[in-house]
Amino acid sequence: MPEEQNQNKEPEKIAEAGNVVKRGGKPRGRPVAQEQAISPQMSYWPFVLAFALAILLLGIITHPVILGIGVVLATVSIIGWGLERR
Amino acid sequence: MATRTIVEGVRVERRKRLSETYIGEWLMTTDHKKIGIMYILTGIFFFLAGGTEALLIRTQLAVPNGQVLDPKTYNEIFTMHGVTMIFLFVMPTLSGFGNYVVPLMIGARDMAFPRLNAFGYWVVLFAGLFLNSSFIFNAAPNAGWFNYAPLNELTAGHAIQATPGLNEDFWILGILLLGVSSIAASINFVVTILKLRAPGMTINRMPLFTWMTLVTAFLLLFALPSLTAASVMVLLDRHIGTHFYQATFGGDPLLWQHLFWSFGHPEVYILILPAFGIISEVLPVFARKPIFGYTFIAWSGVAIGFLSFTVWAHHMFAVGLPPIAQAFFATSTTLIAIPTAVKIFNWIATIYGGKISLKTPMLFALGFIAMFLIGGLNGAALAVVPFDYQVTDSYFVISHLHYVLFGGTAFGIFAGMFYWFPKITGKLLNERLGQVQFWLMLIGVNLAFFPMHILGLLGMPRRIYTYPGNLGWNELNLLSTIGAFTIGVAIMIFLWNFVITMRSEQAAAEDPWDAFTLEWDTSSPPKPYNFLTIPTVRSRRPFYDKKNPEIADWKTATH
Repeated sequence: MPEEQNQNKEPEKIAEAGNVVKRGGKPRGRPVAQEQAISPQMSYWPFVLAFALAILLLGIITHPVILGIGVVLATVSIIGWGLERR
Repeated sequence: MATRTIVEGVRVERRKRLSETYIGEWLMTTDHKKIGIMYILTGIFFFLAGGTEALLIRTQLAVPNGQVLDPKTYNEIFTMHGVTMIFLFVMPTLSGFGNYVVPLMIGARDMAFPRLNAFGYWVVLFAGLFLNSSFIFNAAPNAGWFNYAPLNELTAGHAIQATPGLNEDFWILGILLLGVSSIAASINFVVTILKLRAPGMTINRMPLFTWMTLVTAFLLLFALPSLTAASVMVLLDRHIGTHFYQATFGGDPLLWQHLFWSFGHPEVYILILPAFGIISEVLPVFARKPIFGYTFIAWSGVAIGFLSFTVWAHHMFAVGLPPIAQAFFATSTTLIAIPTAVKIFNWIATIYGGKISLKTPMLFALGFIAMFLIGGLNGAALAVVPFDYQVTDSYFVISHLHYVLFGGTAFGIFAGMFYWFPKITGKLLNERLGQVQFWLMLIGVNLAFFPMHILGLLGMPRRIYTYPGNLGWNELNLLSTIGAFTIGVAIMIFLWNFVITMRSEQAAAEDPWDAFTLEWDTSSPPKPYNFLTIPTVRSRRPFYDKKNPEIADWKTATH
């Protein structure tokens, strides 16, 4: 019985039905407060940094200007990633 | 009426954020399932590219004195075929399954580092595009997938040109970029598996696919540094004027081989261990039995991982190693066959006496065992030094590696593809088309790769551009080419199956295979948070226990 079928029930009831009860009888699973709270935030920095690295490497073997663009992009994306709100 | 007009007049529509658009949702995602899907689709894309290159090679070699490709292009095509299949098809696809399935299997809500996970994927994609962009510059890598020194240098000596173009620079930098991705993914898998398991899921209750993914991640972490060092050194040789690999200036070309194969042989297990994991998941479900010898299968994977670092020089017997080194590497290579055979015996024992259901995932799993066995046996033959002297760098080796990596890994990937497709998409791939694909692939693999054994014994060297018609190779090469195109037809059928299934309205059942492990204990496809409540695990088959509480494993088993 997939868990989805239980998703409208109270967490405690799901704990019982889903066989997740501790020996003491208390549910062990962590009930979900809201989807947003437990899903990781989206971010475009991983994409930008990967793109920057590819440009940087292309620059190494083609032209210093492309290399420069790659370095700037990589620096910006590392800083942006670091400063991003989690 | 007036009120309605005012309401319409002040209605404000907020512009969608990038993350709310369809494309933005994928570009910015940090959800392990979406990242897994992107890895798999990227893998399939590059599989088609690498497959096309394979067909070009086989067309060139179909008849003597072939002129389909010019020699320069042929070198580029066989190099990029190897690079693409290994680094851009097998690794991303297996990583995709790992990304999608492992967090679900261990009862986690995501990978430990979701952004790092996304970064790892995008690096693979850009590295693939970077490597293939070399064709636009008319400078694709052309020194074979292992890029031997001194061919990878600008010059091999004082005045001997090696590869002065950008070809090798594309290889070196592309591989470095792929290494960044592999390190990111491996760290993520290790931390996820060690730290995010559901309550009760001890190491000895982890699904075997998760076990093999963990071993693979450690292998990558320990194997990649030597490849990275080797690549940086050749880059320095080429552009800064160092001489690490140039014998004329006191360097040593063999250093490249040692460093490359220190990575390269663990890499073979990096490519096959996750497939072992897939097979260990599929066989019990379709034999309706628990896996036989769980502990042996898990720890033989670990043993293979350790031993894989002790066998690299069996790729180098012909370079003139001292006898003691030859004896050591021949012994260690033979030793590694033991844990591999342990797995095969356990898989056979798993299906023995089971209620076998020959659905497509099971067919591919059984095909995997048979084909991998052939690849393993001719691999053991290559561990015998005098035999290796005779067939080194011949088509015998090509046959061996394709039985392992195509008959083995690719069959494992298709077993996983058919098995987890309903989990990932909520739809079931067409069974009949799947069976046709399997049989065509099985015939195609044996037709394409078995004759290569004989070609190798007859002296046909690998990487050869063409051959005269009087060497007794003609019929075998033609057979091999027919086999390659048969595989091509099978892959077309898979693509057709994929398209019609995705266009179909028919939804699969939530648990179509009556499976045992946690990834099926949620909707198909799962919600972004995977599990509403994190499940508690009491045995190795938690979902089986939940469905069969009266005969649950934890009531009888001690693990």
